[in-house]
Amino acid sequence: MKLAEKITALAVMTAITAASAAAVFNGNFFRNMADISSEKLLEGGFADELAEKTADSFPFAKELRAVAAEIGAKAGEPVVNRVYISEDRLLSADEYSLSAADNCTAAVNAFSAGYEGAVYFTAVPTSTGIYGDSLPSYLLPVTEKQLTERIYEGMSSDIRKIDAYTILKNLSENYIYYRSDTKWTSYGAYCVYRTVIQKLGFIPVPYDKYAIRHVTDSYRGNLYNRTGYMESRADILDIYEYDDGTEIISCTGIDSQGVSHEISLYDMEAAESENPYDLYLGEPMEFVEIKTTVNNEKALLVIGDETADCFIPFLTKHYSEIAIASADNFEQVLEKYTDTKKYEQTLFILGMEHIAENYRGE
Amino acid sequence: MTYSSLPFIYIFLPLSLAVYLAVPKKLKDMALYLESLVFCGFMGIKLMAFMVVYCLVNYISGLSVYYIRPKLKSIPLAVGILFDVIMLISFRHSYFAYLHGFTRLSDAVFPVGISLFTLSAIGYLADIYKGHSKADKNFIRFSLYIMMFQRLIMGTIVSYDTYVHTLKKRRINITELGSGFICFIKGLAKKVIIADSLFVLNSAVRSTSIQELSAAGAWLGILAYVLCLYFTLSGFSDMSVGLCRCFGMKFSGSFNYPLFGSKIRVFVSGWHIQVLHWFRKYITSPLSSKTDNPYLSKLVFVMVWMLAGIWYGFSTGGAVWGMLMGIAVLAENKLNNRKRAKPNGIIYSMLSITLMMVFLSQGSISRGLGYLWVMFGGNGNLADSAAAYMLRYYIVILLIAVYASTDLFRNTIARIKDMRFGRIISAATPAVVTAMLIICTSLMAYSGQSDTMIIRL
Repeated sequence: MKLAEKITALAVMTAITAASAAAVFNGNFFRNMADISSEKLLEGGFADELAEKTADSFPFAKELRAVAAEIGAKAGEPVVNRVYISEDRLLSADEYSLSAADNCTAAVNAFSAGYEGAVYFTAVPTSTGIYGDSLPSYLLPVTEKQLTERIYEGMSSDIRKIDAYTILKNLSENYIYYRSDTKWTSYGAYCVYRTVIQKLGFIPVPYDKYAIRHVTDSYRGNLYNRTGYMESRADILDIYEYDDGTEIISCTGIDSQGVSHEISLYDMEAAESENPYDLYLGEPMEFVEIKTTVNNEKALLVIGDETADCFIPFLTKHYSEIAIASADNFEQVLEKYTDTKKYEQTLFILGMEHIAENYRGE
Repeated sequence: MTYSSLPFIYIFLPLSLAVYLAVPKKLKDMALYLESLVFCGFMGIKLMAFMVVYCLVNYISGLSVYYIRPKLKSIPLAVGILFDVIMLISFRHSYFAYLHGFTRLSDAVFPVGISLFTLSAIGYLADIYKGHSKADKNFIRFSLYIMMFQRLIMGTIVSYDTYVHTLKKRRINITELGSGFICFIKGLAKKVIIADSLFVLNSAVRSTSIQELSAAGAWLGILAYVLCLYFTLSGFSDMSVGLCRCFGMKFSGSFNYPLFGSKIRVFVSGWHIQVLHWFRKYITSPLSSKTDNPYLSKLVFVMVWMLAGIWYGFSTGGAVWGMLMGIAVLAENKLNNRKRAKPNGIIYSMLSITLMMVFLSQGSISRGLGYLWVMFGGNGNLADSAAAYMLRYYIVILLIAVYASTDLFRNTIARIKDMRFGRIISAATPAVVTAMLIICTSLMAYSGQSDTMIIRL
């Protein structure tokens, strides 16, 4: 047995030393460490953050997570890192609180009260909202349907609500959500666009007018990144093109540092990057202004999160000007970059993840 | 930082081991002390400062008890014990809201292991007072008794003399290192693979309102709680013993297969051995020796068990659990001397332990009674789809946990040790241990740690 112990010591020491050297000398490690606030070192919480940063720069992190996901999916309850691994898709099992709905409603009502034009609001469910019926109730004590109903109930009667949940639920047999991501596909966005644009006073572009281009069929979304579950099927990123003669005159984005960038509706290079979803409107911006050749002098203000990105291209066929304000602290963003009086209509497109995360009120 | 985290295993442990091996013998204690300070510092500089002050107060109390005139000895003893108890209460409960707010550094700072090192500190002062031990003038060595990082998180409680003896006899070689790693990784696997899965099952049951819970769900929940508690505590204990061994110190483990024995006494003799011994040595024995009345002795016995229950749970539920345990042990001693067939004994003891632990798990008498009511079908719902779902996905881990909590595996290995198959197992040890480390690492690869705690001692 002594020999076995000696070999164990050598094997474990080798494994630990090799892994720790690879983790520490990984270029990201010290950069990650520098992000940890000194307050956490003083008050506590440093160890938790250190653990997260170490996990991020750990050698073979992706492969190790894949092993963990495989063990989780095969040997026990198929919930890994709060993602439910079902047979055909990954579903987020993040918990929601109803207070997020109340806080979101309050913020939108406050905006509406100080705005002269018409306000439209749609809450976009995640894939869990549409396909999460099979999840055990303990994982989702508050469902997205309940959250949506709560938001709409509390909303001022001046605000026109658009029920994306029912539209998408009725179309759940179609490819309206990515299998490895929480967000809707371009087709899901199009299905909701048809209703939204009618409420905004336009006739939607028929589906058969679009030429649909598959940009990539190897998209792995945010839920894949959370689990590393190799057996989840890759997704397709599409763009919908319709040549009716209207063109984009300019598309300008302002980032969180206040720097202005010329961007495009579709950033084709992003499809090959680490964040392929940036295909739609490029990297996240605080404020985006799009001018088109549509000759109707109509201007729309969109307040939205990432969910809205693939929805915007559909709107460009109807407005001469569209401004998009990031839903994160949109009040400050609007104050900094535009005058809301310019816009006769304002459309909120908020994903449930954004509502749950940004309005949880902690 | 907990032992079950990537920064600890892959950064702190190899570095601290390298430093410890590199320094000359006379500086090893200082190296250990500095490493322990850094370990605490990772949990917050304020926590590190708290630990230094905590050690200092107990160090001064110990010296005062030892050197002060006999008539006045009880004063520093009382001050020291009072300080330790107040710190324990203020960290573990918000009953004393002012104290809680005053000493509680922040939500992120909790000195994991405070319940155990409080017992060590009080035991040290009591031993000096009784003349069983001398006060140590060496502050570094004393501080290590309280805050040595290898023992800080649920490590073994030993008397100060045993600790000093172990320090003196420490010896590092590659065989000890190997056996330390085996023990550490065994504990890590208990925590990361088994306890964490059972924690999820228990949380799933807890998140269901008691009115909606089925009897089957309630049984699954409490079984998960008992096993999770065992694997969490014994996992940390094994990790601590393994770490000490890596640094050349041999301490014994705190658990000896307490579940699935044929009597409740088997549970008592194998559960958190040094903790229960501490309560016997420092509370039960001194109080019992004051009386010849057998009924009073029994009352003391039950009351001390109740105190142990409070120590575990810091709740009325914990107190009831302790009291029931004390009564059960007395009743078993009185009524149950005949030998029972082993399967019946196992069913009887496991059932009794599980039912009593309902109170510890629920935290209050009313919730405990309500839960028991549900377990026996009081909701009129014997089983439902939620229970079927949980059983379907957790049956494998439950069976593994049940098997691993018995001594079957150890006994089998012991029997075949000298056979040819035993040599194969021995040869496979390094590969198995390394594989376990890789599996545990992969399970911690999301957040970098396994920090779920069913109980915060």
